[in-house]
Amino acid sequence: MRSITKLSLVVAALVLTGTALQAQSNNAAITATANVQTPINVLGAQQLSFGNVFPGVNKTVNATDLTNGGRFDVSGQASTPVSLSFTLPATLSAGGGATMPIVSYAGVHALLATQVGGVAFSPAVGATTPLSGTGALFVWVGAQVQPATNQAAGVYTGSITMTVIY
Amino acid sequence: MKRGLWFAIGVMLLGVPLAAQGKPLTVTGIRGVTFGAILPGVPRVVLRTDPANSGQLDIKGPKGNVLLSFVLPLTMTGPNGALMPLTFGSGDAGYSATQAIGSQVGFDPKQSFTAALPNNGRASVFIGATANAATNQRAGAYTGTIILNVTILP
Repeated sequence: MRSITKLSLVVAALVLTGTALQAQSNNAAITATANVQTPINVLGAQQLSFGNVFPGVNKTVNATDLTNGGRFDVSGQASTPVSLSFTLPATLSAGGGATMPIVSYAGVHALLATQVGGVAFSPAVGATTPLSGTGALFVWVGAQVQPATNQAAGVYTGSITMTVIY
Repeated sequence: MKRGLWFAIGVMLLGVPLAAQGKPLTVTGIRGVTFGAILPGVPRVVLRTDPANSGQLDIKGPKGNVLLSFVLPLTMTGPNGALMPLTFGSGDAGYSATQAIGSQVGFDPKQSFTAALPNNGRASVFIGATANAATNQRAGAYTGTIILNVTILP
């Protein structure tokens, strides 16, 4: 009987000791988060069109001219600010190397294609503005061409590039 | 008399390991890994030394060696179950016995790491990662869970 008691004590001690010797561990979690933005898409939606011009007569297309003003349509992350910058030609070119000055660029950006609530800006300077709640922005560009009195007849073109970044 | 001796031995055997246990071990998530706004096709790296965006977990326990091991997600989950791969480099985790982000010992979060808790029993673990957004990654918010297991070594 005494032997059983001794054995019980030893076993109990070993069991308890073993429990206490078990490695103590704990853990915690953190979260990794990211927000993937909608890529910016820019579309040259409408050409800046001066139509017929005559030698020696300047012609202006206003940025507010919804028919003839150049228009870019931008889509991207809703309500996110973007900066607009432009590469603006100083001249339009025709076949045979003839050129015609293009000056006085003007711009309007708006959240609606109707230009309601539009904000005027200088394309030469650029602008920063948020996209709409649906991720849209519309940008118009106007300018003035200055044909010389001896301007060669023909079709003159030039490229206006708009860059949009978040 | 003999019975008393056996009892004393039992108490001694119990006493040693129980005393060794000391302070309880706690692990606390302090800060998540924040990638912020990222663009499709453009990987975003958060360094473990980035004080604003790296992840941080604090450890409190008895002085001595502990084993650190992470459970790392392979992806973050976004809108409609979209997944974005998340990778961890071999030096993306760091251990600081002073809890200073500027004083870390780097280690591979994919491997277990043995660290020594200092006298005050407090230390921090920092972690960075790389989010690899695909070129056609769906826009939206993505999350993933990083778990740090800490075990006191005997």
